[in-house]
Amino acid sequence: MNLDDALQLFIIEARELLEEMEEALLRVEQTPDDVETINAIFRAAHTIKGSAGLFGLDHIVAFTHIAESVLVRVRNGELKIDSPLVATFLAVRDHIGSLINLLECGAEPDDKVRHVAQQLTERLRAYVGNSLPATIQTTAPPAVQAVEAPQEDGVGTDHWHLSLRFNATVLQSGLDPLAMIGYLTSFGEIAQIVTLIELVPPLSELDPEASYLGYEIRFRTDADKAKIESAFEFVREDAQISILPPHSKIADYLRLIDEMPDDDLKLGEILVRCGTLTESELAASLNRQAGNDTAPAPKIGEVLVDQKLVQPKVVEAALDKQKQAKERSGGETGLIRVNADKLDEHINMIGELIIASAGVNLLAQQHGLPNLLEAAARLSRLVEEVRDSALTLRMVQIGATFNRFNRVVRDVSADLGKDIRLEIAGAETELDKTVVEKIGDPLTHLVRNSMDHGIEHAELRVARGKPAYGTVRLNAYHDSGSIVIEVSDDGGGLNRERILAKARERGLVKNDQHLSDQDIYNLIFEAGFSTADQVSNLSGRGVGMDVVRKNITALRGAVEIESNEGYGTTTRIRLPLTLAIIDGFLVGVSRATYVVPLDMVVECVELTADESEAAHGSDYLNLRGEVLPYIRLRQLFNVQDGDSDVLAESEDDDELALPASAASSGTALLTAEGAAALAADPELAFLLHPVKRENVVVVQYAGHRAGLVVDRLMGEFQTVIRPLGTVFGGLDGISGFTILGDGNVAMILDIPGLVRRLARHEPGRRAQLAAAAAVSD
Amino acid sequence: MVSAGMELAKPPARALAPDRTGGAAEANDLQYLTFQLGSETFAIGILAIREIIEYGALTEVPMTPPFVRGVINLRGAVVPVFDLAVRFGRAPQKTSRRTCIVIVDVAAESGVEEMGIVVDAVNEVIEIPPSEIEPPPEFGARIRGDFIKGMGKVAGKFVVLLDVNRVLSVKEVAVVAAFEQQPDAAASAL
Amino acid sequence: MAQKTTTVVIEGEMTIANVGLTREQLLEALGSGCSVEVDLSRVNEFDSAGLQLMIAARREATLHEVPLHFFGHSSAVRNVLQLCALSDQFDVAAVTAAT
Repeated sequence: MNLDDALQLFIIEARELLEEMEEALLRVEQTPDDVETINAIFRAAHTIKGSAGLFGLDHIVAFTHIAESVLVRVRNGELKIDSPLVATFLAVRDHIGSLINLLECGAEPDDKVRHVAQQLTERLRAYVGNSLPATIQTTAPPAVQAVEAPQEDGVGTDHWHLSLRFNATVLQSGLDPLAMIGYLTSFGEIAQIVTLIELVPPLSELDPEASYLGYEIRFRTDADKAKIESAFEFVREDAQISILPPHSKIADYLRLIDEMPDDDLKLGEILVRCGTLTESELAASLNRQAGNDTAPAPKIGEVLVDQKLVQPKVVEAALDKQKQAKERSGGETGLIRVNADKLDEHINMIGELIIASAGVNLLAQQHGLPNLLEAAARLSRLVEEVRDSALTLRMVQIGATFNRFNRVVRDVSADLGKDIRLEIAGAETELDKTVVEKIGDPLTHLVRNSMDHGIEHAELRVARGKPAYGTVRLNAYHDSGSIVIEVSDDGGGLNRERILAKARERGLVKNDQHLSDQDIYNLIFEAGFSTADQVSNLSGRGVGMDVVRKNITALRGAVEIESNEGYGTTTRIRLPLTLAIIDGFLVGVSRATYVVPLDMVVECVELTADESEAAHGSDYLNLRGEVLPYIRLRQLFNVQDGDSDVLAESEDDDELALPASAASSGTALLTAEGAAALAADPELAFLLHPVKRENVVVVQYAGHRAGLVVDRLMGEFQTVIRPLGTVFGGLDGISGFTILGDGNVAMILDIPGLVRRLARHEPGRRAQLAAAAAVSD
Repeated sequence: MVSAGMELAKPPARALAPDRTGGAAEANDLQYLTFQLGSETFAIGILAIREIIEYGALTEVPMTPPFVRGVINLRGAVVPVFDLAVRFGRAPQKTSRRTCIVIVDVAAESGVEEMGIVVDAVNEVIEIPPSEIEPPPEFGARIRGDFIKGMGKVAGKFVVLLDVNRVLSVKEVAVVAAFEQQPDAAASAL
Repeated sequence: MAQKTTTVVIEGEMTIANVGLTREQLLEALGSGCSVEVDLSRVNEFDSAGLQLMIAARREATLHEVPLHFFGHSSAVRNVLQLCALSDQFDVAAVTAAT
């Protein structure tokens, strides 16, 4: 891994750690004594510091170091967690986040950032008193910080302890650790050295120019620390060097154990390596352990403490470390990072696989050989399984996104001076990765809106008989092929009259126009619309809601609002579950083929001639007693028969091989004029077509049903969605293309759009009928 | 049955005339694919040409303007196909045995888009040196002036060199369609 | 059962300068199917990279159960092994007390 890649990884991991830190900080406010949570905060800061040290990111190390010192006091029980402390640490977390961002862009901290750092540093210093040195060195000598609680006796060794770990690239930089260690011998004596060779791979896997060795050295010298450090001067950027003076406190060793790379080490080795123990002492203890007849053999840690060779605390720390190493390796094998592009490629290939499999199926059907049919069917099933499993790879839980709002709600409540709580439901609901990334902004706006305009001030709430604190609720669930995300609040709801008045004022609505409640609420999505009398800092500028809707439409989703004046508002976002591959139902109209997303299909029914006739001139289909709004696809898309690809009358009298038409038009008995006359009359045009059965596909979306009248029903079909692209993006009624098994292109119907269109006409029509009826009275 | 593809052969490496400098890339600059629309000959620089395929298996797209013939499946991608004759304001092309679809790269805001145009016949690839290219005529051209890059003189006749990025400019050819009004939905609110 | 032996002689430097070639040399020998002896008597320069080669070779040999033996350690090699307290792992004959 080159330095760039490593740095990128550091940035990703640092951000994850910062998220963990934030979550823990928010939690610890509620449970200030929870040791686990406090540890989590500490660990996050500590790990960032360590990794930053490896890259020589001094400013990050320095800042995180101070924060860590405060956290150590908290961990030791010297400091209590209270709101101001949490607030300070949230600010610390934010600052570290800014430093990471700057690192990513390769920018230098500007004055503003430095100012923040200074302020925070002062606040933090106040917590630790004056025991912190003014400057922090990168090769943090732990002994200099007096932030630990008073220690018991120090470790017995009167030697210095050096812990050396080098970056993989140190040899390539022209440096050799051996030379530095050799230099040490010129002013002191190496009492003991352990060369850590565990990381050296077998020769066939070895990168000969990389460095894999580490060293633990017990060193006796009269020289001072600076002299020892000078041996490693040139390699400071490429290594992690720890130098512990003689008689170091136990805590220093605890820290060293913590900072050690996570090998799955035996406890004895760890203690030897950390210099607390000599090999001979260890050997002696091991002998004693082995010599113990009472089964089970006492753990080496116990033997050592028993022999008063090692302080109990140090053993505990080493045991913890071992457990951590084991856990982490277990965890690491559970997850791997995958490049998102590779995943997309993978899914594209599966898309091609689906098309190919459809082609095979088609051929099998054409040939009719039973063995082949069976094999093709088996292939289809397997391909479907692979597809499903690949799609789940892209699915992530929405919980992570929802959780981010804990912080948003906390901060915004503080800004607004309102007490608002966040409730989260449906966190395990899964949706496509890309959707999750793009839904964050719209959600943020909706949440802020609820908090700012929805939730009333405490006095008003109490006057209305509501609790003084307001609640914003995030919910997610699946519903017939879509994922639904709701943002609700128990605030004052939308004021219907005010919205209507504003809309009339803006000319968006004519004075005599009849609008349903839904229509009125939807008005707030129009650009430039805001009924807030006072534009608040947050979200009152009226530029938000139309952008929200645009973002959601871009994801091929829809948004609607439900509100109850005085009680609250719910904004409901509906998004398609999968973006790439869908199960479709093929239908045919004349020569064209369309695809209906299968999860929106309720049923398919043959339309009898009577029903078909009765439906003419009406917007409703009477389907076995059910009244269903319907659309004739033929009419909707103005499908013509046989007007394209006119055969040429060229001199060569060549014929053109057109693809075989699946439907015959049966117009052979009519004259050209007769046919033209019929075609011109929308009511009678249907007579041009043979008296075939027509079929109705009943579809459902968002609680509305509709019927699509088509010629042929052609069965289920897995299909890959091809986007409409820039040329066809503006088409109504079609949401994408797909490629059939025979290589032809079919169009995917935009069912939500069609259903919405029908639903919209309903109230209008009903109102018209009512008005007509009233007039005629 | 997926359309058979015939990749345009890479232009043969030509020996450079002594008074020209530069490498093969420049040679490409000068080469044009000529084709017929009716009785007229047009040309497009071959750098913009991706491939030429047989005409067939075209799927119509509803509610699109007449110059949009439909879409085809080009190795898994759905590519729009246009009728240049209609785009130039003439009667739609009639198909014959020699009709082909030429796939071109069109520069758009979103990047390079693949589009197809129906041509009555494909002729040959010729080289037209800049000295033989004259600016588009001020008037009298039978198609929109901004569609023409220049007039190439070839064997005493003029060939219209087309600017594909204009002819197939996404802004102009992108379809924004609305549904056919259903007769009884005329007075609906909103 | 007498086993054939391959002897590898390392000439001159065993350092980062020629570590790639030396690695190939050792790998070839280890893959030869014989037991391997490495003659270190002519090594006049030896650094961390060289040390790593020896460690990795030992790992490789153990992995494939190939007998591997180093001999004739030159002073350059001996000094480093001593410094790193690895002498007994790499077949250095009994050495006089460390300086």
